[in-house]
Amino acid sequence: DGVAVLTAPQNLSVQSTNMKHLLTWSPVVVPGEIIDYFVEYQGEYESLYMSHIWIPSSWCSPTENPECDITDDITATVLYNLRVRATLGSQTSAWSTLKHPFNRNSTILTPPGLEVSKDGFHLVIKLEDLGPQFEFLVAYWRREPGAKEHIKMVRNGGVPVLLETAEPGAAYCVKAQTFVKAIGRHSAFSQAECVKLQGEALSL
Amino acid sequence: GQEFQFGSCRVEGVVLQELWAAFRAVKDVVQAQDNITGVRLLRKEVLQNVSDAESCYLIQALLKFYLDTVFKNYHGKAAEFRILKSFSTLANNFIAITSRLRPSQENEMFSISESARRRFLLFQREFKQLDVEAALTKAFGEVDILLTWMEKFYQ
Repeated sequence: DGVAVLTAPQNLSVQSTNMKHLLTWSPVVVPGEIIDYFVEYQGEYESLYMSHIWIPSSWCSPTENPECDITDDITATVLYNLRVRATLGSQTSAWSTLKHPFNRNSTILTPPGLEVSKDGFHLVIKLEDLGPQFEFLVAYWRREPGAKEHIKMVRNGGVPVLLETAEPGAAYCVKAQTFVKAIGRHSAFSQAECVKLQGEALSL
Repeated sequence: GQEFQFGSCRVEGVVLQELWAAFRAVKDVVQAQDNITGVRLLRKEVLQNVSDAESCYLIQALLKFYLDTVFKNYHGKAAEFRILKSFSTLANNFIAITSRLRPSQENEMFSISESARRRFLLFQREFKQLDVEAALTKAFGEVDILLTWMEKFYQ
């Protein structure tokens, strides 16, 4: 190992939204020089059974940016330790380790984007494409007193889905939430979007 | 959403497709190292006709063995073959499953847990009859047999 003369990266933290996990840290600055960073991880298995073992991150060993998309490295719903070090030529910093291990079940789930449209008398929706981990629960109803709420599970985002063959002139409202199998959690519902057959979509 | 239901043991937060993807990425490399083709550790007698009630005991014993023995001692090979990422995915998902399994400890379940234990001992005995390295290679190569059996309980 090179002699540790560079200051170690500080302020490691993970921002995770919709199962995209970004590790960030404060940059190490040496005027006029480009610093490389190496990111490594270990899951609960490694820390329990072989704590000396760390695995290089898929995308950031090395990287020049003070951040790393660790989404592809976090592939189980267990605690992960993460560490970063800086290098400049043969100079190497000490490792900085994330203070609190990260578990993907802490990710922030946002209500999905939702487009409601009409195709003749068909009510069609298109949900935000959030990746293969996401399923969607869609609730829709006719906008009239006492209307019954219907539920539909949608496996994939990003593709139009026929929701209902509607009656002419009827107004329908739709809202959706995401569900992530890998962590057994769902998001809040999106705002309801309403559309009137032969009319324009109305936002509540 | 889908989850594992091994009898009364429910396990959420594990996506079987992630395990399959991890194993498929290394299957050829790992199984190519297995020269003892006439032997199968996870034989029919171990996994066939397992009742729901038995399944929680059996999966716990098998996964614990994989974590404590197979993965622990195969890790060097995994590093050598540069398959640590997939290896880590499998091991950490096995940790996720075992940490959520709660097999019943009630007395009336004793005969069922004993039956599961006999199945596991069949597997373990077969494992111990092989040279250690060969046994580790074969056991890791048989993860697809294990995942196929586990799939029956993924609903």
